[in-house]
Amino acid sequence: MVSTAARGRAPLLPRWLTADHPLPWLAPMFAMILAFGIYPLAYSIWLSLHQRNRFTRVDEFSGLANWVQAFGDQRFIDSLLVTVQYTLTCLVFQVVLGIAIALLLDCERRGYGLLRALMTLPLVVPPAVTGLMFLLMQDGQFGVLSYYLKLIGLVSPEAPILANPRTALWGVMAADIWQWTPFMVLILLAGLRALPKEPYEAAAIDGAGFLQCLWHLTLPMLSRVIAVAVLIRTIDLFRIYDYVYAMTAGGPGTATETLSFYAGRVFGVANFNYAATLSLIMLIVLNVACFTFLKLARVRF
Amino acid sequence: MQGSPASRLARDLAAWLVVLVFVFPLFWWVLASVKPYTAIFAQPPVYVDFEATAENYAVTIGGQSRITLEGGVGGQTGGASSYYSLPSIRDSVIVALGSTALALVLATLASFGLSRFAMRGKDHVVFFVLAQRMLPPIAVAIPLFFIFRDLGLRDSHLGLILAHTLINLPLAVLLLKSFFDDVPVELDESAMLDGATRFQVFRMVVLPLVKGGLAATAVLCFIFSWTEFLISLLLTTSIRTIPVKITTFVTSTGTEWGLITALGSAALVPSFIFILLVQKHLVRGLTLGSLKS
Repeated sequence: MVSTAARGRAPLLPRWLTADHPLPWLAPMFAMILAFGIYPLAYSIWLSLHQRNRFTRVDEFSGLANWVQAFGDQRFIDSLLVTVQYTLTCLVFQVVLGIAIALLLDCERRGYGLLRALMTLPLVVPPAVTGLMFLLMQDGQFGVLSYYLKLIGLVSPEAPILANPRTALWGVMAADIWQWTPFMVLILLAGLRALPKEPYEAAAIDGAGFLQCLWHLTLPMLSRVIAVAVLIRTIDLFRIYDYVYAMTAGGPGTATETLSFYAGRVFGVANFNYAATLSLIMLIVLNVACFTFLKLARVRF
Repeated sequence: MQGSPASRLARDLAAWLVVLVFVFPLFWWVLASVKPYTAIFAQPPVYVDFEATAENYAVTIGGQSRITLEGGVGGQTGGASSYYSLPSIRDSVIVALGSTALALVLATLASFGLSRFAMRGKDHVVFFVLAQRMLPPIAVAIPLFFIFRDLGLRDSHLGLILAHTLINLPLAVLLLKSFFDDVPVELDESAMLDGATRFQVFRMVVLPLVKGGLAATAVLCFIFSWTEFLISLLLTTSIRTIPVKITTFVTSTGTEWGLITALGSAALVPSFIFILLVQKHLVRGLTLGSLKS
């Protein structure tokens, strides 16, 4: 307002329409989110409260029938369990491997910069391509991974990894762990770089070993960094779809059918109302989990 | 940790071994794309003992028919409608560039607003933007399928651009806000005392200082759109972005691994170049601006 006052004329617009008010800056983004985020969400809720009449092809109000159906749907419960198992297993692997590899690569010697750069490559592979990559390597007949696992007796020739209900989910998780462990490594490396040196010097004087330092100094000081990384990974793990689509299509049977994939399959057979209901349940579970985590871990953006 | 030469050597070996394990799938993938058909299926696996060929690239990107190629690429014919993928690459480029540009414009304005103005409930706005990041793609795609059908946006570049923009907004807004926050407000204030308007401050003072941040944000938005799968799969039928196109090569009558790996390898090139360009801001980008490296 300084400039208009200085030029001595009355403002043409009310203040909340000028660049001196946040509204015009935020309005385009809000318009976009309203039109293609909030409105579709409302549309989903509407869909979930209706059922399509098979003969007239008109959506008829059905109250909470779709929601009640979901909680009695064994296949939905199973896919929820698969998703939870998938999320937690991958998370454990990615955090543990991520910490170990970050510690290993946190070194100033020659060559380590190149190694760190190479570690970032898996992050930008399209997940559908990653799925195919691991499908090729895990093929029961000519897969290179299967070949070596067969050689050391971990996989029997009669039961290819992805065709065996007991191992198929592990096969899919291998792709996820390969692609996203580097995410943890990268974030933790940045965290390690930012740590103060003094506590380690003091610990060295007191004769603390590597593991003691790791447990009492490094991990507690990295807890915020780990919390952010775990939050973002959880969001993505919980809605996993691409690997399943590319590698197993939910099979064998429903051994690798995750929530997203089940909802997509229901959508594929034109049961749109129920698919919308399932996707909303996913959204609610994920949001409750994430915001609880945000509060507990005190992560700020 | 500067131990004995032996322990340093052990660490170097361990580090190289771990990184090789992570690079191997990429190596194997690219290798398969230049293998002749029989070498892909050889048992035990073939590493160097084959005659390299560019046939797979000639078919997927050059558009050559497999029949006219001497010997053909494969012994059997897969069921995919077409292996010629240059149109898919074009679709992917259009969608990725369009959604990156749109997300960047909306996010630059919004994040400047969030960074520069004191307002009631700002935390709630940031929370609200962050909540968009938690939308599962399937929950976006299902209603958009109907909304776009009614608007005539289904199976159009514009529709996909809008959908990808929506998914990219939280990242772009939160990341750019963190870059704007790095620029001291005193700069704005002194420029405004000199008579600059708020918009001039934005355009001529602050924006030039966050160029690096804008570039990093653009790269991450581009890569997201370039690799996105589920929304493209559900919202389009004739427009096929690369990740969707490539999965159509897997058919019940035979999987054309040579062609899949050729297109898949080509799709990696822009991502790899871009990611190496923004190494410096990668961590900040991956954590939506919450951690700085």
